[in-house]
Amino acid sequence: MSKGILVFARNNSHIDYTKQAVFLAQRAKEYLGLPTTVVTDSKDYLLTEYEGAEEIFDQIISIMPAETPGIKTFRDGALSSKNLQWKNDSRTQAYELSPYDETLVLDTDVVICNDIFLKCFEQQNDLLMYKDCVDITGIDRGNEFIRVSDTSVDFYWATVVFFRKSETTKTFFGLIQHIQENWQHYANIFQLSSTLYRNDFAFSMAAHIMNGYQSGNLVKPVPGVLYYITDKSILWEIDGDSLFLLLEKPAHEGEYTALRINQANVHVMNKFSLNRCIDEQ
Amino acid sequence: MDERLAKALDFSNYMVTLNHQKRILKERFREQSIFYYAGSQFTVNKELLTFVSMLIDKGSDKDVVLVDDNEIPVMIDDLEAFQDEITDVYFSAANEFFTRYEKLKKNRSVEKLTGHE
Repeated sequence: MSKGILVFARNNSHIDYTKQAVFLAQRAKEYLGLPTTVVTDSKDYLLTEYEGAEEIFDQIISIMPAETPGIKTFRDGALSSKNLQWKNDSRTQAYELSPYDETLVLDTDVVICNDIFLKCFEQQNDLLMYKDCVDITGIDRGNEFIRVSDTSVDFYWATVVFFRKSETTKTFFGLIQHIQENWQHYANIFQLSSTLYRNDFAFSMAAHIMNGYQSGNLVKPVPGVLYYITDKSILWEIDGDSLFLLLEKPAHEGEYTALRINQANVHVMNKFSLNRCIDEQ
Repeated sequence: MDERLAKALDFSNYMVTLNHQKRILKERFREQSIFYYAGSQFTVNKELLTFVSMLIDKGSDKDVVLVDDNEIPVMIDDLEAFQDEITDVYFSAANEFFTRYEKLKKNRSVEKLTGHE
């Protein structure tokens, strides 16, 4: 069975996701020994800007630019933010686009620092996602990453999704596409507080529906721990498998606590700081 | 700023960082305590170690079914070999936890705690 990583990289005016994809692909090769395929609407830019991109990626798949991208606030620490386009609508096509029998879909802002994701390919379940990621700050965020809204269903992270091609996973992704196409309706049904399309929510809804409209075990957890920082914290330095972070202090906006974390996979939601660290490599 | 307050705030910063680093160490211990066996996943803790030991003591050491973290039943062909492996996983994780924790305790500044001097 073929196996590999699939990432989606669609730049906006300030964030170069293709840079993150190149960085991720290099680390995927180093830590996991796996090939990476990138799906992008900026293939020409990718090939021009990043020498050797054709060798770094197993495949580069071109897609059309988003017709109606969402607008989201992207922070760079607690005191700086920008409202930018958020082109997150193509992940639902991961099943069709993936050239692999066994695929690990990753956000480009996941910094791989160990080989735990390899365990996905050794286990028997066809669909894996994280339900519980670890907030490095330890801040109590209420239900934000536990349920899709206070009165709704369990939250799954679409940041890391492992799937093995099968009838069940094909149905799962088909359902997600249906949810995406009828987003306003599902946002109402699942009582979302915002109607902005989010993959985490669409995947969570699909898991809930396919579990028989209840909590269930269709989706098993990804092996290992995925840590995360929100965009109010800052990634300061990447030194091999060691990350130096500045963590937000909720009661003191603009102040940070330093922390070093080693050999742990971290989802860095502050994309500006991630790109600065990549530039320093 | 009053020197006494400044000193207290310095210490406060140090304690926040220390507690964050300790929490990350505990998480790492939890992650390192997972044993992957034939496509299944077992969290190795005192309960699992004791249960396996009890089964072996009672003579059930071949073809034993255990239920893994995902509540999937798994046939363990050789429970003694399984016990050796989970014991190894547990103590590797615990020893690393101990070593890193001891090192952490000796660092008396934020800079030393984070290795960013």
